[in-house]
Amino acid sequence: MNQSKYLTIGALTKYLKYKFDHDEHLQKVYLKGEISNFKEHQTGHMYFSLKDEQSKINAIMFASSAKKLNFHPKNGDKVLVTGRVTVYEITGSYQIYVEDMEEDGIGNLYIAFEKLKKELAKEGLFDQKYKKPIPKIPTKIGIITAPVGAAIKDILSTIHRRFPLCETYLFPCLVQGEFAKEDIAKKIKQADQFHLDCLIVGRGGGSIEDLWPFNEEIVARAIFACQTPIVSAVGHEIDFTIADFVADLRAPTPTGAAEMVVPNRLDLQKMLYQYQIRLQESILKKIHIQKIKLDTLANSFVLKNPSFQYETKKQYIDTLMETLRKDISYRLDMTKNKWDHIKESVIFKTPEVLYQKSQEQLKTALVKLHLLNPLNVLERGYAIPYMENKIITNLQEVKKGDLVSFQMQEGKILSKVVEVKEETYDETRTNL
Amino acid sequence: MTKQEPTFEEKVTSLEKIISELENGSIGLEESIEKYAEAVKLAKECDEKLKKIEEKVNKIVSENGQVEDFELKEESEK
Repeated sequence: MNQSKYLTIGALTKYLKYKFDHDEHLQKVYLKGEISNFKEHQTGHMYFSLKDEQSKINAIMFASSAKKLNFHPKNGDKVLVTGRVTVYEITGSYQIYVEDMEEDGIGNLYIAFEKLKKELAKEGLFDQKYKKPIPKIPTKIGIITAPVGAAIKDILSTIHRRFPLCETYLFPCLVQGEFAKEDIAKKIKQADQFHLDCLIVGRGGGSIEDLWPFNEEIVARAIFACQTPIVSAVGHEIDFTIADFVADLRAPTPTGAAEMVVPNRLDLQKMLYQYQIRLQESILKKIHIQKIKLDTLANSFVLKNPSFQYETKKQYIDTLMETLRKDISYRLDMTKNKWDHIKESVIFKTPEVLYQKSQEQLKTALVKLHLLNPLNVLERGYAIPYMENKIITNLQEVKKGDLVSFQMQEGKILSKVVEVKEETYDETRTNL
Repeated sequence: MTKQEPTFEEKVTSLEKIISELENGSIGLEESIEKYAEAVKLAKECDEKLKKIEEKVNKIVSENGQVEDFELKEESEK
């Protein structure tokens, strides 16, 4: 085994350090990143890491360089550094020796932007439910921007080109610099008092720092509190500010805002023309429909054939008459049939059958009656005594001297009672 | 400013309302004709207003709320 081909760690590290130190790209490196693990040694040296989304590098800034800094670094700061990258032999790690460091303004702004955006979003300032609709045809528009510059010029010329009917009210304000945010917020509040149809707040393009006032919380809250529908128009198409998120509508540019807010006069005229056509058509259609209805009615069978009305009635009467006639003849036929039937009946033809039997009974009865007739007794020589035309049935009714007549078969015997003598018939005689 | 005269937008809105009513066909003929006359008047008024191109003067509102005419300095800006 040949040990001589194995390196010591020291030798490798030395070699690597030599490589780093002789690479001209690593002698002056410009680096952008965020500070973390920041430690300041009492000697004044600063030790920290620089990181971004992908990677991390250890950094050291010696007191001699550090004391020249115009800010005090802390964790989370976005910084721009210049330095030399080399290997630290003792730990075997590469690191950057920072000679100069400055705050990454835009990076820090970006962080602030994200932080505020998150906060306000959480609070609900961007919620769709708070967005007020922009009037379709506003006639009074407030503009909150600088009184000079491209923005106001673009807005006014666009508004007047498209819709000359519109009145504009300019609320001049600062749009950049440290006092701009308060001024913008104040002017939004002022404009809100004017009962305008709509407000446009914004400015022309510029650097991110220039646009920054529109990312400030005070402006965001003023926009949110504004009762008038408000359109943001900050910078160019690509610039998004907090104001854009809070506003009821975001316009890509000031010109865009004017275009979005006011309608085009020619479009309106075209629309009105269309409306007139639609009006005309709808009323004509309506009249046409009524006319068709009327024609249908006029042409209706009833109106065209008025006789039909009574002809049907007449026909009905005829039907009734016919029915009646049929009914009567039917009844007559029925009666006649009944009559014929009766005529053919045994009783009608030989009614004797009805009383023949009774006649015989009567004859028998008469014979019997004849047998019982008391006058028959007279034939056998009996007489019936009368007194004062009453038959004497009791001997006591008669006394001496009374006039009594006797009915005989052939006539009467008138007599005078000489004597009344009570005398009973014997059995044999009564039986006769 | 008296708020008596309806605004341009209000007129257009009324016009749109009448048109949709007429197109729906739910109203009677006599009322339709009345509405039609009203709508024609509205359309004419709006149209005339649009044709009359009278440039509105821009206003500027000062800090203390005073309203004055505002003239853009056209050429100095560029």
